Parts: sequence; C-alpha cells; structure tokens
Amino acid sequence: MWYLLRKLGLLLLTAWAAITLNFLLPRLMPGTPADAAIAKLAQNGPVDPATRAAIEAQLGVPTGDAWSQYVQYLGNVSRLDFGVSYTFFPQSVSTLVMNALPWTLVMVGLVTIIAFVVGTLLGVLAAWKRGTWLDTLPTLGGTFTSAFPYFWTALLVVFFLGYQLKWFPTSGAYGLESTPNLSLAFISDVIGHAWLPALTILITSVGGWILGMRNNMINTLGDDYVTFAEANGLRSRTVAVKYAARNAILPNLTGFGLSLGGVVGGSLLVEQVFNYPGVGYLLYNAVTNQDFPLMQALFLMLTISMLLANFLVDLLYGLLDPRTRR
Amino acid sequence: MSLLEVNGLSVVYEPRGAEPTYAVRKASFSLERGEFVGLVGESGSGKSTLGFAVTRLAKAPARISEGTILFDGRDIASMEEEELRKQRRGGFAMVLQSGMNALNPVRSIRKHFGDIFAAHGHVPKTKRLARAYDLLEKVELPRTVLDRFPGELSGGMRQRVSIALALSLEPQLMVFDEPTTALDVLVQHAVMGTIRDLQKSENFTALLISHDLGIVLESTSRVMVMSEGVIVEDGTSQQILQAPQHQYTQMLLGHYADPRAEVVQVPGLVVRGSTISTTGHSSVVAAVSPERGETATGTPSAPARRRAGRPEASAIVVDGVTKVYPRPRRGQDAVTAVDGVSFTLEQGQSMALVGASGSGKSTLAKLVTGIERPTSGTIHFGEARVDTLRRKGLRGLRREVQMVFQDPYSALNPLHTVEYALMRPVLNYTGLHGGAARTRVLELLETVGLTPVEQFAAKLPHELSGGQRQRVVIARALACDPQVIIADEPVSMLDVSLRAGVLALLDDLRVTFGVSMLYITHDLLSARLVTDQIMVLNQGRVVESGLTAQVLRFPEDPYTMELLDAIPQPHRAGARR
Repeated sequence: MWYLLRKLGLLLLTAWAAITLNFLLPRLMPGTPADAAIAKLAQNGPVDPATRAAIEAQLGVPTGDAWSQYVQYLGNVSRLDFGVSYTFFPQSVSTLVMNALPWTLVMVGLVTIIAFVVGTLLGVLAAWKRGTWLDTLPTLGGTFTSAFPYFWTALLVVFFLGYQLKWFPTSGAYGLESTPNLSLAFISDVIGHAWLPALTILITSVGGWILGMRNNMINTLGDDYVTFAEANGLRSRTVAVKYAARNAILPNLTGFGLSLGGVVGGSLLVEQVFNYPGVGYLLYNAVTNQDFPLMQALFLMLTISMLLANFLVDLLYGLLDPRTRR
Repeated sequence: MSLLEVNGLSVVYEPRGAEPTYAVRKASFSLERGEFVGLVGESGSGKSTLGFAVTRLAKAPARISEGTILFDGRDIASMEEEELRKQRRGGFAMVLQSGMNALNPVRSIRKHFGDIFAAHGHVPKTKRLARAYDLLEKVELPRTVLDRFPGELSGGMRQRVSIALALSLEPQLMVFDEPTTALDVLVQHAVMGTIRDLQKSENFTALLISHDLGIVLESTSRVMVMSEGVIVEDGTSQQILQAPQHQYTQMLLGHYADPRAEVVQVPGLVVRGSTISTTGHSSVVAAVSPERGETATGTPSAPARRRAGRPEASAIVVDGVTKVYPRPRRGQDAVTAVDGVSFTLEQGQSMALVGASGSGKSTLAKLVTGIERPTSGTIHFGEARVDTLRRKGLRGLRREVQMVFQDPYSALNPLHTVEYALMRPVLNYTGLHGGAARTRVLELLETVGLTPVEQFAAKLPHELSGGQRQRVVIARALACDPQVIIADEPVSMLDVSLRAGVLALLDDLRVTFGVSMLYITHDLLSARLVTDQIMVLNQGRVVESGLTAQVLRFPEDPYTMELLDAIPQPHRAGARR
C-alpha cells in the first residue's frame, strides 16, 4: 500500500513539473508567435501598425502578470483547452488531437503490445532451445529485421503486398467511399487499411524484444535456482516458464513501459508513408507549419502518457517482483 | 548391492572453439546405503563436476564422455530426460553451493514446495501443507517461513530451505556441494550440525563435497580426495587423518592447526608461540617463495629513501568510535554497526579484528581508511584526524594507509595488465615517472615474489591464479610505501595450499618494511598465525582484546569461545558420530 502511495505521489509531482515546464519554455524563448508572423510578412515590405494589431489580436497576446497567466493556463489544461490551431484554423487543438488519437492508440498501441508478446515468446523459445533452429531462426531473423529502416520496410510492404499482390489498400485509415460508423463493413474496412502500417511496425520492432528476452533468459537459465529446480525434478515447462522466463522478463518490462508511453506520439514515419491520420501525422504537420499551440499540446500529452506508462510499469513490477515491494 | 556405483566415469568440458579438457578422469567409487562420504579437493580438482555428473545435472559444455553410473542397479549415465526427472523423486537430490541463490526470488517458499509436490504427485493434495510444515521443522525453521520470499530470509535460512526442499523428494542419496561455504562461521557450524542430524535420523546416503577437509572429517565416516580430476585417495576418516597416503592429502592436512594450541605451526609460516616472534624472519622469506632468491629483505634503504620528507611513523588511534547507519527501510531500525570501539595500532604492529559477519569489522576498516565517517568518536593517524579529513587530507592518508581486498578476482580490472594496475598508484603517489616508475613496478613484483617480473608485468588478471592475483593486489597496496595495510579477509577466497604463502608474505612485509597491519578475518587460525594483538568484535562491540596467543588460548568471553568451537577440526573426526 505504501509502495502504491509513494509511486502515485511521484507521478503527480513529475506531472506537475512537466506541465509547468510546458508553460515556462515558450515564455523563456525570445519573441512571441505574433512577432514570428509579422517577421514573415515584413519580408514582403513594411508592416503597418493596424496589421500588427490585427495579428496580435488574432493570436492573442498574454495579459496580466506571469502568475495570473500560470493560473489561467492550469485552468485551461484541466479543461483540456489548448487553444486554436494555426494550421487547421479555426479548429481547436483538442478536437484535432481527439480525432487523431484513437487511430494511433488502436493501431500503434495494439501492434506494440503484439510485438512485445510475440517477441518475448519467441525469445523464451530461442533461449530454451538454445543452439537449435528454433534459436537460430528468430535470433538471426530478429537481428536482420530490426536493422531495417521504417520507411524502407514500409516501401517494401507497399510495393509487394499493396501494389503487386493488391492484398491491402496502401494509404489512409479507411476507404474514401465509407463513412465512419460502427457498422461491420466500416470496421473491416479499417482493419484492412491498418494491415500494412501495422506490419511495418511489427517487422521492425519485434526483433529487439526477441533478442532482449533471449539474452536475459540465457542468463537466468545459468542461475542456481534453475539448476536447483531441475535437480528437484520439476517439469521442464515449469522450469522454463515459472523459473527462468518469469525472472528474465522483469528487466524487459521497463523497455515495454517506455514504448507504450511512446505509442501516443504515434509512429511518425509510418503514419507519414501510409497517410494514416494518427498523432504522428498531426505532429509532423504541426512542426512543419510552426503550429505552436498544437505542438505544445502534443508534447504535453506525450510527456504525460510516458509518465503514466512508467507508473503502470512500476505497479506491475510491484506485483511481479517481491523485492521491489518493500 | 551398493546404492551408487560409479565405474570409469570421465567428464569432459568442450567449449566452442577451445580445446576440450577433462575435469574428471576415470573416476570409480561406490556408496553404500546409509553411508556419509566426503569428497575433498581444491578448486579446479573436479569435485563439483563429479557431483553434478552423478546427479545428472552436468550441462553443456560439460559432457559425460565415458563410464557408467549405477544408481540402485540402473545406469543413469545414459538415461532419457523424462525418466531421469521421475527418478529424482525417491532417488538422488542435490543441495547447491550457493544456497543463497538456489531459490527463485519471485516465488514464495510455499510455492517452491508446491512445485515439487505437483511435479511428482507423491504427496496427496490435502497432506501437502502438513508435509511442508513437517519438513521445515526438520531443518529447524519456523512455519512462518512458508509465506516468505527468498529475499526476506538470511543466508543460513535459505540454505535450510533448500535442504528441506531436497528432503521433500524423499531421496535415497543426497549430494551436498559445498553446502556451507558461503555462510558465516557460526551459521556454517549450525547448518552442518543440522545436516549431520538429518543424515542420522532420515538415514539417507550422503555425499559431502567440500574444499575444507576439516568440515568433511568432522562429519563423514569415509573420505575421498580428488586432485586434478582423479580420485587420489579413498579411505575411512580415521585412516585419512592418521595415515594419509597421498602427498596431496598430507598437504591439505598439514594446513590445519588448532589456534588454541600452545604452539601453532603451518608449513610455510613461522612458528608463533605465546610471545611475539622476533627470530624467524629469514626463514619466512625462504619458506614463502624459494623461487624469489636473495632479494627484497636486504634492501630497507630503498623505502627509507622514498620516505624522505614524509610524516614520521605514526600510530592509528581510534577513540570511542560509533557508526550508526540510518534505517535502511521504513519500519526497520537504524543499524549500529560499530559501537564505542577504542584501540591503538602502533607502528609495525599487527592486529587482528575478528568476528562473525555483521560484527562490524569491515565497517571499522572503512572508518579507519576514511571511506566512511564515524557518527561519534575520533580517529587519529599521527597528527591527522581521519574522521574530518577532506579531499587533500584523504589523499595524504591513502598514501599511508592502503587496503588489500578480500576477493582477488574482482579487485583487479580484467581489462588491464598487471603493470598498468601497479603503475597507477606509483604515478599517483610516488612522483616517479617513465623508466623510474617502471623500475618501481618491477621491484614491487619482486617484493611479492612474482618472478620473472617482466613476464608477470605483461599478464592480464585472468592469466593468473587466485594466489598470484592476491599478490598483485598486495603489491598495489605497497606501491606508495604505506605505513599501514588493512587486509580484509585476504585469504578467505584462496585455496588452502595458497593461503600460507600469502599470509607469510604479509607477515614478511611487516617485519621487513615496518608496515603495520590491521588484519580483518573470521578465521581465527590465520589470525593466530600473523598477528600479535587481537580484538574480538560482536555486534559492533569489542568483547575481548589482548595478545593474540593469550586471547585464543585462554578465551574469557563466551562469544570468543563460540567462534573457537565453530572451527572445523580434523582431529575431531568420528568424535561427533
């Protein structure tokens, strides 16, 4: 119980620090967004004061002292109000994020979990059957595929599975002719469109989990408790799963937490290649168009989700490893 | 019919890309039912490999290359996995060396028992809990242990749990591989007592593998001695003790002595009677390293020259020192590691600091070297107050006070040569450079008897034996001509045959160079051999101190007596049976 409270306190503290930093950073930078816009206009000639006033009014110039701004900011954050996007004016930032988030969460999130589960299982198998083809194949294959760059894998997948074999559509999250609803037809359309990006992420990320798990497990297989369990005549499946793998997975959980936290950031390159309307795609747009409110909201969301994922992994650790519970 | 009959068994290690080596060569022996047999040998003698082979736990790259192992009349050397697994119930069990790590850290003790019962199904479900309680009682553990995780138990308790788990298999043969080596002296004594009692009451056949002939002779009725993969001697404990045939057995026995005796003698070490020895220095040098020739002793002028301009010889004065560590976790108490300790270590003196683990002896070493600061009390080294020194002062202190660490396998950086390891302190502390520094390094190697020096200088730690590594560690401590050497269990990781050499070297340094020594140990025999003064620590307090010979021969404190009683004694062979 104490463990839980301590971790929760730590989570709240770091979240507050992140939110505050997100408030401070833009204010510590020289100039305002209005200055940036005016500077752009100034390249074509002098900017008259009326235009300047109009731009400032449109983008909003902060009023009041820093403290009252901070209080107002905290209020806005708690209402998830991050202002209006420059690029997709007049849509609000929260609407944009809320539209993009589900696509990313479902597609990237599911694939991350699948990659972890599949990679871990293959790693356990490889270590347990060390030296056989069950070891060589996943280990060599994993090393090979994890060295592929995202975009290159994406191009291969698009070319062979999408263009030549025409098994799956090559871009977007759903077909142009279907409209979003909860019908079976639409959902299968979405799944069809998700195949290629998902496959790309899976191919490039599963190798790391295989190698990590295999190496950890080979270490634990050399541990005395595994030898002792064998000496006591436990079934080999029990020894492999409850003794060796159970201990080998612990260090991998931290990495899993980090990649889960990163899911919310989307998978920038993959979403870009497949025109997938997720958070990565949105982030790319925000950065290329200097859309400050959108960027700020996305970065904050990324930070917070990273913290949450780590918190969950900490709790999981507490459940799985009695040594951390004290 | 014997319970276990091993015929012409050889075990070969075949690492990939390296020459195969035979760890066990054509071993043949048999164990009768109910017999308690010891298997003794130094590290690398193949005794553990043999133990793993007869319980069929040898894993790649080790492989049984020839021979048969008849257990109860059936050959298990070539048995299939699943049949072998079933044989482990009511067959042969093993208790591993590092019982500390023999338990799965994420499973409770209850689940450990459950796993075994589930694997063999020999205890009906309703009776499993009662059986577990019964087994815990046999190894003298409370029932509450069942719901603990291994990390919550002490080393001795964990080893008792592994014995209980092995017992739950109802084995006919129990193999104990160094069951108490990693444990504290007093705990070791108690656990060995439990093993002996269990062997008698449960009447299983037992094979006790150990490097310590003392422990083995105390417990077993028959002893096999192994050297370089071959069983060189096999006889009753009395025969081994009174008329050892093989040279190797004689050597092992020669290194036992009773620290309580009037005169204690071990080959390679000078005799120390009740008075401080002042005569046998030259004999020490000759005995330590005959290969080293006539150097080292005759040149006290060199260190004297280097000493010029440095503080005069001074004593370490510890006065009323207490060290309290803050409570490690919520709900636990603060730990008082050292409690009001005072002593004076005069220049050129050697003092032993003995006690069981947790008695505060290592903490005291940290305080004297300035690594930790005392909570209260003062430590003087000459003019300097060690407990308040800052960076520069500490640097000066380290030039005068050096450590020799317990584990020579981890005290040297495996990536650097011996020369590099010795060059660092020479460059840092002596102001020598280039050729002069190199000359000094070679001189140091000669002092510790690692000749030919040029060859040893170029070696990497893994190319050296444990004893040679410890000599390098000692040479490193000597590099800056310190006045005090603090040796923290310098021989506890070494084989018996190497111990005397290292101890004699330390003693020799004290005599030749006037280095004073604080010798930290749990081994009272070695304390008797190399020190004049002794302090016995129990839970941070000095319970007894004085002349080593006096204190060990006529102990007054019950704790000292307990420590003395815990020392395995070969001559007690059979006495406890």
